[in-house]
Amino acid sequence: MSFFQITIANMWEMMTNFIFLLWMSAILFGRIPRRGMKHAVLCVLMGTGMVILLSFLGTVCFRTGIWSGKYGRLGAVAWLYFMLACEALFLWFLYRISFRDSWLGALMVETMYTYGQFLAELYLYFFGKNQYNLAIAEERRSYLFWMLVVGPACLMFCGLVIDKSGVGRIYRKWLEQEEIHKAIIFLLAVYPVIFYVFEMGVGGGRPEVTFLLLPLLMLLVIHIIFIYVGRDWQQKQYIIAQQASMRQQMIYIEKMEKIQSELRKFRHDFQNMMAGMYLQAKEGDLDAVQAYIQEVTGAFDRQAGDQIKLMNQLGNIQVMEVKSLLLEKIIEMQQEEIACVLEVLCPFESTRMRSIDLCRCLGILLDNAMDEVRGKPDGRIYLVISSQNGCTTFRVQNTLYGTVDFQHLGKPGYTTKGDGRGTGLESYREILDKYDFVFSFTAMQDGCFVQEIKIKES
Amino acid sequence: MLPIYICEDDERIRDAERRWLEKQILIEGFDMEIVLCTGNPEELLDCLAYGQQQGIYFLDVELKGASMNGFLLGEEIRKRDARGFLIYVTAFQELAFETFRYHLEALDYICKQEPEQMYAGLSRCLAVIAERVGREQGGQREYFTVKTLDVIRHIPLEEILYFATSGRTHRIEVHAMRERLDFIGSMRELEERLEPHFIRVHRAYLVRDCQIAGLERKTREILLKNGERIPFSRTMRTRLEGFGYLENAGSAREENM
Repeated sequence: MSFFQITIANMWEMMTNFIFLLWMSAILFGRIPRRGMKHAVLCVLMGTGMVILLSFLGTVCFRTGIWSGKYGRLGAVAWLYFMLACEALFLWFLYRISFRDSWLGALMVETMYTYGQFLAELYLYFFGKNQYNLAIAEERRSYLFWMLVVGPACLMFCGLVIDKSGVGRIYRKWLEQEEIHKAIIFLLAVYPVIFYVFEMGVGGGRPEVTFLLLPLLMLLVIHIIFIYVGRDWQQKQYIIAQQASMRQQMIYIEKMEKIQSELRKFRHDFQNMMAGMYLQAKEGDLDAVQAYIQEVTGAFDRQAGDQIKLMNQLGNIQVMEVKSLLLEKIIEMQQEEIACVLEVLCPFESTRMRSIDLCRCLGILLDNAMDEVRGKPDGRIYLVISSQNGCTTFRVQNTLYGTVDFQHLGKPGYTTKGDGRGTGLESYREILDKYDFVFSFTAMQDGCFVQEIKIKES
Repeated sequence: MLPIYICEDDERIRDAERRWLEKQILIEGFDMEIVLCTGNPEELLDCLAYGQQQGIYFLDVELKGASMNGFLLGEEIRKRDARGFLIYVTAFQELAFETFRYHLEALDYICKQEPEQMYAGLSRCLAVIAERVGREQGGQREYFTVKTLDVIRHIPLEEILYFATSGRTHRIEVHAMRERLDFIGSMRELEERLEPHFIRVHRAYLVRDCQIAGLERKTREILLKNGERIPFSRTMRTRLEGFGYLENAGSAREENM
């Protein structure tokens, strides 16, 4: 075969490889990158360029015998790594994710690609021949059929199975776990080496055996790691969640006991007040009676009413993480004697935003609000959570004493807290920028600073 | 002249409110007038047309014997008078007022349990309204109205500095003097809607013309009056210079040298 013919054949394979890469990465990362026309055009150009370059280099390597013979299998392993690096680079450019993530993605896709190859080799094993003599027309036809139809069909089948089996979701969940990372990163990273070692040692140079056994083995190992480490991680998460819920319940019980003891105190006061009022009513001193009534209601609000109100509102928050966060913050505010009003009119049951991110955002907003009103006698913080009409709104409002420099708000390094402290609002913006269904609002209104997060839930 | 409407089911409180408001208007010389004083929400709605002139509404929350409560009434009023001032006068402290206030864009709520507190609240509201209306006078103020999910926001056009696209798809950020928010929209539509006061200086920026202080040609940036810098595209240069920002650019350059 001529140099040109080989390059064309390579190009075909590379093209299917890249299309597969695109498809699988979309499944793995769970999104399709949309960054405008310019980016899309650049990506297409980059992909095409890489396909052409890799096909050309592949042919050169093939012709010069770098893949076999002279350097044993070392050349082939190096080539596989080079290709993976190219793919990772492509993914990195396409998704703008960290290079580690794109490298991992490329490795994952490569592993999946092997399954497709395995199917294609299996076809050869049963229906085809090991060696085709391309000089004979009939053999060339069946080889072309295998290359142009069977190969892509196998990849297609493989991809569909992966798509339907929800691998992407598992993968993304797995990316969140720190421990499992190292094991699989290592395994995946040495995959090309294992592949060729295996081929030489066990397969005895027969590709179908390698393609058959190795992916199965890999699958098994990855599966075991997933289950072993994954379960361990799950248990840890479970324990952490339980501890948080326990802590929260403890706080809740403490609050309840406090309310109860205050009610007991109030009952005592109330009897005294009633006795006094009775006397004054008897004397016909209506003004004094009115003053008394006001005093009684005021005293009740001061002693227990406010706490009960607060607990009622908190009861409407059914997202545990948010509830814990707010309880902690409210207790902090009460200790620092910061006046705070919480309103949760409708039950807040769930949200599309990840609760870790939501809690971080709320934490940042509440901390900022607290910093502003701390130590001011008339400072007040209002927190409104409103979930209705298919969206959830979080509104943090605090009395404003200075002025907010909107020009620098949320830009790197700007802080409302004076020099060298906190980059809260910057990370706040960064977190929100990840979500397409979250809207933010910031304003100075009637002497207050208002920050809002609005989440579109449906 | 701002019309004042009162809807309160308790006749004594209604009268007390009316008398106090009348007294305040007289003393302070506010340009307001009590038009209607009723216990029946339907009667109030009947005299409001859609696209009603901005009014002031003092509403009770719990309206005995009526078909709707004060909040529903507020929603109905909002449909007719989007920029009116809603004030709730109520005996309940338990209710989630901040939530309603937020959704109905109510100005305030006043507790009527103690007369002194109620009178103080009424006076405060009138003062705030008079101050706001006074600020807006001298030519009808124009607003940029935008809907984000379930709320409609009105931003005074003259306070908007610029619009910018953000990293997310179809997301546009409004940078105003005292506000910052984002919504879903397209730059092209905005540009058409806001012409000629806003100039599309860059693919990602639509700037209020009177906020531009100068051009900095070296870095290809626009200097805003508040000191902020915004990039402009090469194709816009001649057009921007045509607007007469060239002189300012000269002075900006001198400062640089």
